[in-house]
Amino acid sequence: MSKGYQGRVLRVDLSAGTCKTEAINAEWAKSYLGGRGLASKYLVEEVSPEVDAMSPENKLIMATGPLTGTYGAANGRYMVVTKSPLTGTIASSNSGGYFPSELKYAGFDMIIFEGKATKPVYLQIRDGEAELVGALHLWGKTTNDTEDAIRNEFHGDAKVACIGPAGENGVFFANIINDKHRAAGRSGVGMVMGSKNLKAVAVRGTGGVRVADPKAYRDAALESYGLLKENPVTGEGLGALGTAVLVNVINQSGALPTRNAQSGTFDGAEKISGETLAATYLKRNKSCMGCIIGCGRVTKLSDAKYSGDGEGPEYESLWALGAACGISDLAAITKANYICNEYGMDTITAGSTVGCAMELFQKGLISEKEAGMSLEFGNGEALVKLMEMTGKGEGFGKKIGLGSYRLAESYGRPELSMSSKKLEFPAYDPRGVQGMGLEYATSNRGACHVRGYLISPEILGIPEKLDPHVTEGKATWLKIFQDFTAVVDSAGVCLFTTFGIGVPQFAKFCNAANGTSMNDEDLLAAGDRIYNLERMFNLKAGIDPSQDTLPKRILEEPLPDGPVKGDVCRLSEMLPDYYKERGWSAKGIPTEAKLQSLGLA
Amino acid sequence: MLQLQFFGLIRILLKREAMELAWAEGDTVQRVLDRAQDQVGTAFVHKLLDDLGTPRSGTIILVNRRNIAHLKGLQTPLADGDTLAFFPPGAGG
Repeated sequence: MSKGYQGRVLRVDLSAGTCKTEAINAEWAKSYLGGRGLASKYLVEEVSPEVDAMSPENKLIMATGPLTGTYGAANGRYMVVTKSPLTGTIASSNSGGYFPSELKYAGFDMIIFEGKATKPVYLQIRDGEAELVGALHLWGKTTNDTEDAIRNEFHGDAKVACIGPAGENGVFFANIINDKHRAAGRSGVGMVMGSKNLKAVAVRGTGGVRVADPKAYRDAALESYGLLKENPVTGEGLGALGTAVLVNVINQSGALPTRNAQSGTFDGAEKISGETLAATYLKRNKSCMGCIIGCGRVTKLSDAKYSGDGEGPEYESLWALGAACGISDLAAITKANYICNEYGMDTITAGSTVGCAMELFQKGLISEKEAGMSLEFGNGEALVKLMEMTGKGEGFGKKIGLGSYRLAESYGRPELSMSSKKLEFPAYDPRGVQGMGLEYATSNRGACHVRGYLISPEILGIPEKLDPHVTEGKATWLKIFQDFTAVVDSAGVCLFTTFGIGVPQFAKFCNAANGTSMNDEDLLAAGDRIYNLERMFNLKAGIDPSQDTLPKRILEEPLPDGPVKGDVCRLSEMLPDYYKERGWSAKGIPTEAKLQSLGLA
Repeated sequence: MLQLQFFGLIRILLKREAMELAWAEGDTVQRVLDRAQDQVGTAFVHKLLDDLGTPRSGTIILVNRRNIAHLKGLQTPLADGDTLAFFPPGAGG
């Protein structure tokens, strides 16, 4: 097996209670790299796309990449790949922190969980040895308490990934939290973990990662370090103000979806901005393993109403728990963020679902009696209360736990869910940023920003400035961004490095680590292959191309305010170009020739 | 008058969110930047522009909420009453 990889997969049969080690499929690793790509290949080979996501037949894969646990950029990510209960698509949720590298240091590239345990268990891994142990005493505990308890009983330096009560209680957007504050956040991967009665994975590893060409690797690492350090975004901006700096940027651009996307600007934006967070609850920034960017926000609440400490809120959470709900109470947002982390819930879907409920309340479809409280936009107290009730599976919280699509559908108004493929879109209104609309509509896991982050060129001007109001050319840009992102996710590196380094740097890293000789085109072809593999899974799962679309509001209701007042997202101008760029039929199906060229036929 | 708004690292550096500046005939973004720096007495333009005086990768300057990259760049002409927003490079996700 190539260096970079440990060459070992841990297969855990939860039904039988066994752990077995097997060699990684080296051929697949060549074609799909690792992480998101390789885990998707295993899922496609082993799980029928038509399977019920909550059944024992679904599998849950935790996968590192060949660069996870190495140095040079921010090489410490892992992906959780499974079939999503929220969307029915393939899910791959990405997280950093310290757990991913520790898994590699314990000698494994990947863990495949199959079946279902008869009672709650958790997995202990120590340097190549693995064992399932009882977790009845942990069931019901928050992610914070679970990690503390496991460290106390297993190993004081263990790194832990676990679900909170939300994953146990069938919340459709339950996530998997590692290192207390890092989340494999989207698509409900924590709900799948909970359905298997798997509470946590605890790992202690003291090994290392070997690379094929240490000198070439060192050169690649030094080059990337230099580029990241010199870049004003990765070298200074993200560390000082974190992602939260975007609140004012996107609001000024008129693309901050407010009150369930009823407008594109929020009059309370300044109160929930990164600048305000830095002046109030921010204590310091924090890095994941081996990262020089340090975008994490360590915060402590010092508010009359709310107390607590933790990490966040990030930009997405400030928007979802803030502007999407019309809430400008930063303390309430921060508290709701802590609750999401402690109960194990995705803040984006959580906030967007509360925003959707608030619009249903505004329209008289949800009553105060039914919700048990007033749900008018701007009610921070209701948000905090609802987050706790959702995590616990109590009262109206059970409805919030369905996610916005199922919630709105239950009131006969599914179009009020701001989602694509039942995944809520994040903090950018496609009416103000056309290319992001195409990304939401075509992302393989539903409306997602981190599969093809066109905000970078359309708003930030990185690597060059594109006009966000123009549709022409966006399909070409998006395909490259989506393919490159698939590479980054599969290598095991943080996407934020791509503000400072590009495909050539990734090629150098991968070649030096794995002993390969891929050029830039080869690397992007691997991304294209991974993207098409995911697309084929979705098509076979019944997610047909008619779902490559956006909510009616985004396509038909002009933005009522801000600098892009009057705009809608002109998706129909971009989608045919996108299918063409991808080599798919006009109906959005990968052609036989395309699949053959990628080795997928 | 021109309204100037400061965000991100510039706000932290200058310890101020905004300032007003008298408008003058022929004003451009470039001229106003230079005048604003003189008036506040603290160097901040280097956070926005590189050594050659061009906007850094990631710098955002808006005039009435329109990005100058899609206007006339630093030579974008200004009218009395315009609002300018300055964002040094930052990012999110």
